[in-house]
Amino acid sequence: MAAPLAKPSTSTSPWAWLRVLYAVLALTVFAFPGGMVDWLDERNASGWLSAPLAFARGVDAASAAVGVKGVGERLRRWFAAAIGDADR
Amino acid sequence: MLFPTIDFGLFFAFSFVLVWGLNPYNTVKKYVLLALSLAFYASWNWRFLLLLLASGAISYVVGLYVDAAAKRRFRRLALGVGVALDLAILGYFKYLDFFIAQALNLAHMFGFDLPLGFVNVTLPVAISFLTFHAISYVVDVYRGRLAASRSPLDILLYVSFFPHLVAGPIVRAHVFLPQLATPPRAGDFSFGENMLLILGGLFKKMVIANYLAVRFVDPVFTDPTQFSRFDLIMAVYAYAVQIYADFSAYTDIAIGVAALLGYHFPQNFNQPYRALGIGDFWRRWHMTLSSWLRDYLYIPLGGNRHGALMTTRNLMITMLLGGLWHGANWTFLIWGAMHGCALVLDHAWRRSAAFARWGSGPIVRVVDWALTFNFVCLTWLFFRSPSLDAATQFIAGVWNDNGAPSTMPAVVLPLIACGALTQIAPSRARAAIGVVLDNRGALAQAAFGFVLLYAIVVMAPPGSAPFIYFQF
Repeated sequence: MAAPLAKPSTSTSPWAWLRVLYAVLALTVFAFPGGMVDWLDERNASGWLSAPLAFARGVDAASAAVGVKGVGERLRRWFAAAIGDADR
Repeated sequence: MLFPTIDFGLFFAFSFVLVWGLNPYNTVKKYVLLALSLAFYASWNWRFLLLLLASGAISYVVGLYVDAAAKRRFRRLALGVGVALDLAILGYFKYLDFFIAQALNLAHMFGFDLPLGFVNVTLPVAISFLTFHAISYVVDVYRGRLAASRSPLDILLYVSFFPHLVAGPIVRAHVFLPQLATPPRAGDFSFGENMLLILGGLFKKMVIANYLAVRFVDPVFTDPTQFSRFDLIMAVYAYAVQIYADFSAYTDIAIGVAALLGYHFPQNFNQPYRALGIGDFWRRWHMTLSSWLRDYLYIPLGGNRHGALMTTRNLMITMLLGGLWHGANWTFLIWGAMHGCALVLDHAWRRSAAFARWGSGPIVRVVDWALTFNFVCLTWLFFRSPSLDAATQFIAGVWNDNGAPSTMPAVVLPLIACGALTQIAPSRARAAIGVVLDNRGALAQAAFGFVLLYAIVVMAPPGSAPFIYFQF
């Protein structure tokens, strides 16, 4: 009888979980960079978040340049229109 | 710091690294978890940190006294003092103004003017859940279900652990404290299932609950006189879906976050709108509160051990206090009283000869389900109404249709259908998908998680409303 397959490391290692979680969060920020820029901007009154804010703006520009940001915005507008949500 | 926000996403990403990085050093890790939990609580109002620390300190000291007292009389005394202190804190912040208002009204009716003033204190977030956890610990020690902890760190972490701190689930001391003894192993948890639990919770809160609240339920309950009979009735059903989606979302995310940090929390919802009977509903809705009320209130009152009359009394007291726990308002008392009466009838029906004969038949089961669901929805009307007058106005609007055309947005029906889907989907589906995900590589897991989160962000309305149970 064949030995049962070992579970892949993703199911037992928290560091593998971490890679997945960070990848999901990073991809989401890249897909919708505006949220992170606004979030940092609101908290940057004293300038202590200037570096992360500059980085987030860089991500925003990169996302817009490759068209990912635009797709997300269009999908949100399309969904809002489809359900009759005029506020968005 | 609400769960579905960037703030919490960053907080969790930071906590995750710290907690697992320090996992081999269990004591240090617990100190860090405590610091994270206090920071989480302080994000609402740092002034109430003292309350959190006081609650933990009372539990710790009372637990030691209860454990050390040789005579039963002294054990009871220590327990009584501990529970009274916990309830005094809750009473001061949550109920004092309500009872002062009732006393003033009563005195005014009889022509007196009492020299009483309102205390006007801010209600601290999580105070009810904090009290439940604190009482659970000292009572479990008193009953010998748990040895008193010698570690103040463990007790403080138990009452303040950030995933359950604000709105549950209520985790019993005998379930949580043993988990602090040794470092958790990631292999004991399903990453796939817990990721799905968190993402499902985000969908229920950010899409279903938020849309229903903002687009339909809130406007209708704010001024029911402006809406037609049809809209009013639909708003009650929409609220039933909204409160389920909102509250179960919070506890799903809490359970998933705790599991990803290596701690097991109990299940809190089990498709409650499938319930056949009110007793069954309470075994499926806010399960950790139901079992808490059963074990720490209903059974100590005598439960069903002393005949039908005492059982009725005990059920009514339990449900009235359960209602009052939700807030100092007559609407919650009526909600509790309705559930208490229904539980009494439900008990009687299930013990009757008629139930033994016909209870398992398909027609009776359908009627049982329809009566239970519609009764629960009716009670939500009182639960959601801001005052008794508003509830009466709402019912009057249903009774006397104002003839206005329906203004219910088209999105409401699909959202209610989504809510219905959560009640009829196979309960083991999530675990099964979790196993499939666990057996895929990191790339597949990340792709799956990203696609779901992307869809949620596309669909969610801007902003994030607080969870309903934050106010309790």
